[in-house]
Amino acid sequence: MRLVASNPPELVSGLDDNARFRSIVMPHIDEAYRLAQWLTGNRTDAEDVVQDASIRAFRAIRNFAGGSARSWVLSIVRNTAYSWLRKNRPAEVVTVEDLEAVELQQANPGDRSSGTPEAALIAKTDAEQLRAAIAALPSPFRETLVLRDIEGLDYREIAQATEVPIGTVMSRLARARHRLIATIGKE
Amino acid sequence: MTRSKSDDNSALLVHAYLDGELDPANALSVAQQIDKEPALAAEAERVKALQQSIRERLPREEAPPGLRSRIEASVGGLRRDRTGPSWRALAASIALTAIVTSSSTWFMAGSQQQPTMIADVLVSDHIRALMAPEPVDVISSDRHTVKPWFNGRITSAPRVVDLAKEDFTLIGGRVDVVDRTPVSTLVYRRAKHLISLTAIPAESRFELDKSPRTVSGYNVVQWVENGVSYWAISDLEAKQLEDFARLFRTSKTEL
Repeated sequence: MRLVASNPPELVSGLDDNARFRSIVMPHIDEAYRLAQWLTGNRTDAEDVVQDASIRAFRAIRNFAGGSARSWVLSIVRNTAYSWLRKNRPAEVVTVEDLEAVELQQANPGDRSSGTPEAALIAKTDAEQLRAAIAALPSPFRETLVLRDIEGLDYREIAQATEVPIGTVMSRLARARHRLIATIGKE
Repeated sequence: MTRSKSDDNSALLVHAYLDGELDPANALSVAQQIDKEPALAAEAERVKALQQSIRERLPREEAPPGLRSRIEASVGGLRRDRTGPSWRALAASIALTAIVTSSSTWFMAGSQQQPTMIADVLVSDHIRALMAPEPVDVISSDRHTVKPWFNGRITSAPRVVDLAKEDFTLIGGRVDVVDRTPVSTLVYRRAKHLISLTAIPAESRFELDKSPRTVSGYNVVQWVENGVSYWAISDLEAKQLEDFARLFRTSKTEL
């Protein structure tokens, strides 16, 4: 397991709230913006979500107890994005029940056999195809894949950010990748 | 354990191996399995190809240049919530704001409002907003969020303009009550200074001369435009507040 960059509480405990916010939250605005963009699907909404999430993070800044500041910030962004989606686009929110149905379907061998393209084909995918395939993933798979393969978080950080056990991170990640590979194989 | 379950487990381990998440002993054992089993080797190749495509083809976009400063502006005037996220409840309860605000305006219940009294009331509202946990009831730098928020709260949606380029950042809006009528107040920020801009459906009796004035140390700039009387209140220097008023008047409504 890699070491996680951290801000030990003793380093920030002497700071006022604004200074804490600057050292804990502000370094992760780019990641926050990208995650929000993948979850909401567009830049304008992503900006609103990050701004709301920043206010929530500021309000809760004393609750940050050390560990990965990045995971902490991203978990707030993620929760803010889902509240935003529930309010503005309730049809797009994937519940745990939906996800179980998705996973059953995914486990169906007929579905699985539809696409296991050669690695060479995958390597030739263009950006637009890739982006569309990721955007089409159900959000629990999408956020896991984005945090790992785009943002480079390790499994423990992803587990913290998405508030699930590491085993769930592993299975979601594998399923997300299998879906992408199958989608690419179909085109 | 069924065959497919164990296949699934092996596949998960291949992913964890490629992600560098296994300890050395497990990593070695998975590497050996990949060597032995073509199906696992193919899985590993596909995952590596996918990761490489993502890395090479999907550039990591940076946050837009204005976002950080907008965040700093919206967080700059906040205080940490000591009891939990009650600000949402506060933002939702516009009725409460109206009641609290109107309690201060009882004394002006008479029908003939004098302009100086309006300035007094609005300055009091501005000061109260500075002391409240939030100076606004809807927090947003986005005029497309702020303007619709007023729908249903007041009878006419206010003109909202984006002056971020001129260094006046929109931070949100609230409803104030003047002469028992709810009116819209937009709040802008320049550096550490807040500006409350209240729009009151104008009647001639609300008109003031255009010269800036001071109430309790706050500068007040007032003008009438398209049947609406605007009142800008701030501790900014008079000159800067006049600049703000001029920019607001001359910028086009983009809604």
